[in-house]
Amino acid sequence: MAQAPVQTIHRDPQLFYWILFPITAVMILTGILRHYATVLMASAPKQLDQKTMREQRSLLHGINVRTNFHTLSRKSFNARRDALTAAYESGAYLKDPERRGQAPPNPMSDPSSMEGMMGMMKNQMAMVIPNTLIMSWINAFFSGYVIMKLPFPLTIKFKSMLQAGVATKDMDPRWMSSISWYFLCIFGLQPVFNFLLGSDNAASQMAQQMGQMGPQAGQMFGPGVDPDKQFLAEAENLAVIEHYSVLDGIENRLLQGIKA
Amino acid sequence: MAPSLLHPPSQLSPAAALQLSQKAPTVLQSSPSTVSSSPLSALFTASETPDLWIKYENLLLSCLRTGDERAAHQCLERLVTRFGNDNERIMALKGLLKEADAQNNGELEKVLEEYDQILSDNATNIPIAKRRIALLRSMGRVSEAVSSLVQLLDFSPTDAEAWSELGDIYLSQGLYSQAIYALEEVLLLVPNAWNIHARLGEVQYMAATASGAGDVSSQKSLAEALKRFARSIELCDDYLRGYYGLKLVTTRILREPPNRTKQDDADDFVLPDTSTAERLHELATEKLSEIVRHYTLQDRGWRGYDESEIAAARDLLAKNAAGA
Repeated sequence: MAQAPVQTIHRDPQLFYWILFPITAVMILTGILRHYATVLMASAPKQLDQKTMREQRSLLHGINVRTNFHTLSRKSFNARRDALTAAYESGAYLKDPERRGQAPPNPMSDPSSMEGMMGMMKNQMAMVIPNTLIMSWINAFFSGYVIMKLPFPLTIKFKSMLQAGVATKDMDPRWMSSISWYFLCIFGLQPVFNFLLGSDNAASQMAQQMGQMGPQAGQMFGPGVDPDKQFLAEAENLAVIEHYSVLDGIENRLLQGIKA
Repeated sequence: MAPSLLHPPSQLSPAAALQLSQKAPTVLQSSPSTVSSSPLSALFTASETPDLWIKYENLLLSCLRTGDERAAHQCLERLVTRFGNDNERIMALKGLLKEADAQNNGELEKVLEEYDQILSDNATNIPIAKRRIALLRSMGRVSEAVSSLVQLLDFSPTDAEAWSELGDIYLSQGLYSQAIYALEEVLLLVPNAWNIHARLGEVQYMAATASGAGDVSSQKSLAEALKRFARSIELCDDYLRGYYGLKLVTTRILREPPNRTKQDDADDFVLPDTSTAERLHELATEKLSEIVRHYTLQDRGWRGYDESEIAAARDLLAKNAAGA
């Protein structure tokens, strides 16, 4: 079988200075700009008022008792269990006990949760707007020609991605157009930003998207969760614990452990 | 181990604290006083690290301990320029400095009023609340300190520091069962802290000694003290205080053998039988003398013990040998 002849395309060397370099520079600068915009727009973490803090930490207290009950003797554990279960079931730790049993407020109408959503919106905006702008800029100025050849072979599937805007059927997918260079920059500039801005920067949208996928720390006390139900569930969890203590039979354990 | 500025200096010996605070001029000179946040300078100078500010905070505390208030003020100034006056931790440090500067009780009262003022604006300012409690305690108003501490723990029951402070205050007042409750709360938060296990054992032992021998409740506390010490050894098998306590408790058990007739409640811990107690006693004696021997010879890996604790262990061993 005959080898397909190596395609050569003579490009103007000026392409490098006038397209490749400007796109890269613009991408880096927008990344830096986005980082500082995010830093400026970040709202300070919300102050909890005393009652909310009491509600949340009392629940955490119960969870601690449940997970670490084995450090206690049976008597002190039972005392705590009785006290906590009674308090949870009577709603003593609730932020506003009068609202007990009612449906939780709609998260959209709650101003405190609105703030959190606004913050998320702001972040989204800081990502979406520059991306749209740059993409349309590249499309308007640099679309329609090939700027470089990748140093490694690629399969035909990459053609639609790498040669966006260049409708030539037989061209090797190794040739890439300016828009594909733009995509490469989006995905590949993270190390550059790490170097320039430190590792916890907000410049790359990839990192932000990863963050959204991950588990959210504040989920447990998020809007729309009824604390009363959480307390009741925790009371039940405490009630079913079968107590044992690490102190049971520790003398023998110690003697054996040292001898061994 | 050389003292490091990256760890809180509260448990350092006076000599180590002095050594740290003597380094203050060099540290203050070599570290930047402000860190520019502009992107251009960030490219060329070292970027800001949290370590720097932790260093300033710890240096401030060491300097206050050794009376170098000028350096302490410098540290605070730098922290304030970085974090502003409204940061809760900075507010507490400022208060601490004011307490140190106060010459008499009247000035301390003024600082206390300021704390009250801050807390009435924002009741959840925990660093300031803790400073206020510490100040009340050091001014001798213990009952007020306890009630504020209880109030703090009512809305923040997951604060190990506050629980252990409460336990300490109760212990200083001789309220053993309350102190034990507070220390148990600490253990719920940090279940593997061997020092807290040993501390709880010490408090239980004190409770057992206070309530008179032969008493049922004293036997229960003694049994739990023994178990607590054993647990602390299980978690950290070179822990001097654990062995010391274990030896104390077993000596006592062997001297006054428990009468088993009254042990009816299955919920409580039972004292071990005599042979187990003897073996535990042997174990503790052996390990204590090993620690003392190695420490005296300054063997590698055995130097971290506290001088006074070693002396106490030596005394105990000598007393025991004389008694036997």
